Amino acid sequence: MLEPFFMWLNNLAVSKAIGESIWIFPLVQAIHLVFLALFAGALLIVDLRLMGLGMREQSVAKIARDARPWMILGFVGLVLTGTPQLMQNAMREYFSDFFWIKMYVLPIALIYTFTIRQKVAMADEARVGPTWSKLVGLASILLWIGGVAIPSRLIGLFT
Amino acid sequence: MGQLFMPLHDLFDYVANLESSIALRESQYVWSLFEVAHVISMCLFAGLIIMMDLRLLGIGNMQSPFSQLQKRLFPWQMVGMTFSAITGFVLVFGDPMRFYANIFFWMKILIMVIAAVNAMAFHYITYFSVDSWDSKTPPFGAKLAGALGVLLWAFVIVSGRLIPYNWFQNT
Repeated sequence: MLEPFFMWLNNLAVSKAIGESIWIFPLVQAIHLVFLALFAGALLIVDLRLMGLGMREQSVAKIARDARPWMILGFVGLVLTGTPQLMQNAMREYFSDFFWIKMYVLPIALIYTFTIRQKVAMADEARVGPTWSKLVGLASILLWIGGVAIPSRLIGLFT
Repeated sequence: MGQLFMPLHDLFDYVANLESSIALRESQYVWSLFEVAHVISMCLFAGLIIMMDLRLLGIGNMQSPFSQLQKRLFPWQMVGMTFSAITGFVLVFGDPMRFYANIFFWMKILIMVIAAVNAMAFHYITYFSVDSWDSKTPPFGAKLAGALGVLLWAFVIVSGRLIPYNWFQNT
């Protein structure tokens, strides 16, 4: 259904230009990973705390509030460096199962993060209880690392 | 100059001819598994290092005292580092000659050494005064260590990702 769109993306002059330069694509790919580290750091510091690990002396809400702008910055950087990679490789990505796994899990992870995870992180910890807190943190790690990050790396390894 | 690197070349060459090394580079699945594990452990290691460095810079995680980030994140950073090191070692073991001839690989190693020196210098020089700035904006020395930390680890990630692109390799 989306094939014409990917074809169009693939054949844009910008996409071709990215493909013709020997250094643009590798550099964009490398910076994508730096933003991934920033995003993952801001994600994990909160998820570990939700699971009762890491920054145990601080409240979840404090840590989540501090981490939020860095997680958003990391995400914006990932999208900005991910888009040119998709454009240059549009048809290859279209036929990659891992790309589609990533694209289906990504909106789920995003909605989960800004609804359930956000609510639980900001809520009174005594009311949430350790079990729910742990589950919310674990689900966040599974969605982002298992559902988004790992399939992303696999796009390039198996095509 | 070439002579100086001969023992290293011989070592890499020796490993390349080991049966286990050959098996590893010929197995697409095992190799890929280690590539994925290397990136994921990097997320844990570099991600939490960056969280600490932002606090040193005085621009992130400011509601937590620095000593708490240091104490509570350190074990996780070490878990990340251990897995990064093991998976990285296995990847080099599986294709030593490719890394031996790769400028980005040696850049990565060199920058990692500098990043480690930066971390040690901070720990043994600046960190002893932590009590006076634990809950405040850190002094210049700590900010410098934080800025260098973010920059150096970013360069480690970038040079690592550039290893597959052999622009400067003379074959």
